[in-house]
Amino acid sequence: MTTTTTPIMRRRGSRGGRGEPMVWVSLLALGSCVAMIVALIALIVGQGFSTFWPRPIEELTLTSGEILLGVPVRTESAGETDNPDGPPARRTLFRVGNKEITGQPFRWIPESEIVSSTLPTDAVLVERTAWGVWLGRLEQILEVSGDERTVVAEGDVAWAQLPAALKAARHRAREIESLREGDVGEINAKLESARLKFRVAQLRHEDGDLSDEQLKRAEQTLAERSTELQAEYDGIRARIDELDREDSRSRVVFREPGSGAISPLSSNQLDEPMRLTQVVRVVRTNNLSLAGRLGVYCSRWWEFLSTGPREANTEGGVLPVILGTVALTMLLSVIVVPLGAVAAVYLREYAHQGFMTSAVRIAVNNLAGVPSIVYGVFGLGFFCYSVGGWIDTGPRAPMSTGSWWTLAAGAGVALAGTITLMMSARTAPGVVPSGRQRTYGMLAKVGWLSVALLVMALLATTPYFKGFYRAMAPTPKFGAKGLLWSALTLALLTLPVVIVATEEAIAAVPRSMREASAGCGASKWQTIQRIVLPRAAPGMMTGMILAMARGAGEVAPLMLVGAVKQTSDSVISAEPPFVHLDRPFMHLGFHIYDLGFQSPDSEAARPTVWTTTLLLIVIVLMLNTTAILLRGRLRRRFRTGAF
Amino acid sequence: MIRFPSSLRNRFPALKEPVVVDAQSKSWQNGSPNDEPPFPARTPSYDVLEAIRAGQPVKATIHEALDGEDHCVVSRDFRLFYGDSQALFDISMRVPRGRVTALIGPSGCGKSTFLRSVNRLNDLIEGVRVEGELTMNGRPVYDPDVDVIDLRKRTGMVFQKSNPFPMSIFENVVYPLRIDGERRRKVLAEACERALQGAAIWDEVKDRLNESALGMSGGQQQRLCIARAIAAEPEVLLMDEPCSALDPIATGKIEELIHEISQRYTVLIVTHNMQQAARVSDYTAFMYLGRLVEMGPTGDLFQTPRLPETEQYITGRFG
Repeated sequence: MTTTTTPIMRRRGSRGGRGEPMVWVSLLALGSCVAMIVALIALIVGQGFSTFWPRPIEELTLTSGEILLGVPVRTESAGETDNPDGPPARRTLFRVGNKEITGQPFRWIPESEIVSSTLPTDAVLVERTAWGVWLGRLEQILEVSGDERTVVAEGDVAWAQLPAALKAARHRAREIESLREGDVGEINAKLESARLKFRVAQLRHEDGDLSDEQLKRAEQTLAERSTELQAEYDGIRARIDELDREDSRSRVVFREPGSGAISPLSSNQLDEPMRLTQVVRVVRTNNLSLAGRLGVYCSRWWEFLSTGPREANTEGGVLPVILGTVALTMLLSVIVVPLGAVAAVYLREYAHQGFMTSAVRIAVNNLAGVPSIVYGVFGLGFFCYSVGGWIDTGPRAPMSTGSWWTLAAGAGVALAGTITLMMSARTAPGVVPSGRQRTYGMLAKVGWLSVALLVMALLATTPYFKGFYRAMAPTPKFGAKGLLWSALTLALLTLPVVIVATEEAIAAVPRSMREASAGCGASKWQTIQRIVLPRAAPGMMTGMILAMARGAGEVAPLMLVGAVKQTSDSVISAEPPFVHLDRPFMHLGFHIYDLGFQSPDSEAARPTVWTTTLLLIVIVLMLNTTAILLRGRLRRRFRTGAF
Repeated sequence: MIRFPSSLRNRFPALKEPVVVDAQSKSWQNGSPNDEPPFPARTPSYDVLEAIRAGQPVKATIHEALDGEDHCVVSRDFRLFYGDSQALFDISMRVPRGRVTALIGPSGCGKSTFLRSVNRLNDLIEGVRVEGELTMNGRPVYDPDVDVIDLRKRTGMVFQKSNPFPMSIFENVVYPLRIDGERRRKVLAEACERALQGAAIWDEVKDRLNESALGMSGGQQQRLCIARAIAAEPEVLLMDEPCSALDPIATGKIEELIHEISQRYTVLIVTHNMQQAARVSDYTAFMYLGRLVEMGPTGDLFQTPRLPETEQYITGRFG
């Protein structure tokens, strides 16, 4: 049998065959990705690092005859111009400060209106504790007592004396601050605790646990304690007042050249010169050498990193924000990594690889795709209100005693049955269970699940638990936004990442290792504990890195379950328990949103947005680098010398 | 490479690569409708192998010399299934105590499967089922009330590719003791030295016991694995092609070691290398397609095999 076949021609050198267009397209795609990332980083780094650099102060004379000081921020084209032949109209945004007088700390000035501009060496930029910056000239340092004003120093002498005066003022301010925050705060806490004690007594009296006599005694104790603390408070108050009076005597006059206004004590005392303690920093920018500028730059960065925010977050620092973010990320990884790792171990090592396991795996993977705000809503509803509310005031709808005990009896029976099933399903170690034993084992698992559910139901409806913080009601302790609930919500959000990473790491442990361990007589758990988990540790670290990066950058769910604009009490503090799980916190991601979109003065907040963004990136980078270094150390142990 | 006759390929898809065999036989059939392979088999078919291929029960030829031995591992009509496919057919084998017994046979004949049945390592694979009887030192291996962990503690195993744990050399050797909960430093150190000396590697590693075992050479790693296998003084030592990934010098060292070890342990070794079987073993069992064909003292089996098939295999005319 013969068949005719068409001879096959093989061609060489066709353009498509060599794939050159695709090489270019793929290179282009990669190039644009890299370019975008580099541009993003460059923008953030450039803007973030340039914010604190001291800029020159210009003295402007306008066509209207107005004279003013301003720090140029940026220049842009002003659009339509009256004279089509002339140069395009441009305008410049100046930071003019002096909010009490001008009302607007930023002002657009068209170039055509500027008659002259100079850089006076004696112009100062004063950063103040309130009302933003003041631009002017240092005139006098004053000593005020009553209505009498004594000039301590004037002009250049005043400038020379200013640093020492400021140092003394700062010392006074710190003393007053420590009295206000420390001692007064302590008394308030004591008073609150005494009041709570009485409230507890009152509640117990309502329940019939305390007699009228005992209640009366408690009331008396509270009254005594209150008087005692009040006396203590009065003493401290007097000391504060005295210090404050003393402080109010040292004033400083910064005069604006145009209107002749002086930096005031407050917005309704425009004629009174400001206190020295109201000054944060005075900079004669135009007169500074490079080293001087660098010094100002560094001191601004230090202030930014080491103090709390002022002026609706637009000024001051972000220390509590950093602390909040780091505390959240740490707590989140402490929760999610063990939970995810243990779940992954069961899923990969113990569970029968069948339909159910696949279903669970798909469900877990899909959880990673759920929008994060959904987790926020869940966290608020479940963690904050349900669990937190339960901790605060006990079950919202407790059962009657009778039906609760009936349910408890049911749970007891289920527990006994489950234990019986488990005992009958048990085999000697290493022995393969029979078919019936396997059925019992399965039933026992179902039994454990139902016992767990019943116990949860019992806890949620017990009539015997009235909450740990009932006396504080209606003020919630755990039943509101807080660090713990945020960490738990984000742990839930990042759980899929950790489970998937750990599972892959466990699956990648070579079979030969498990066989070697089993061949030595190790049980399954011993093999997992001694061989599988150590080898899978780098993979788990990868999961942790991803979870931390996600957790540190997440904003949407945090707005619901924990992040706030400002906190009076930091989540990390020197008082026990040091990390306050019940407190709301500040978070860098939310802080950026707040500065950028919720700030009363967006122009003033703008630079801080960049620095905060830079800081967030740096913190995430630092957390990740630490984890990656740790992972590298772990990996090095598994590199083999032989092939 | 020696090719199987097409009839063999067609009947036993389990011969490792069923798809390839099928595709090849089909491509032969394209031009010739009478199913005649283009390359005639080089070996004529003999009765026993033909019977095995036909799936008929075949009685293994066992030399009388085995009757005089004390037996450590004994199997009677032992069968093993991977899911639906049967891998071992009615294996009745007696492994003499204190001797080295080699298992030889072509790839896929069930040597390794039988070896791994002795310490029930096959249990790690899902869907494995066994029938028949297997005993070690008179105690059944597959009874329902057997403690597998305890069974494995009584055997040591060395694998084809060296698989030291990513730990120090010391921790590798004492691993079997560690999992038994042994913590006394002195006991561990003594066991470590004894095992490493037993595996003839003590002099090479005694100064770096705390270094990672992964930094050793391949041959050293394999000897370390042998040390680990004998550290807990097992009753039987199972070796699954322990030299197949090693160079001739390392192989020579391991063979020497096996020879020394055989004074104290019962060794069951799987090998593809006829010379190795001849060099190290006292007894040899020839297996084919999941069945035991012939078993006897190594010298007799290699020089005067009872079956011509065995001779064919040993002289390399098929397999």
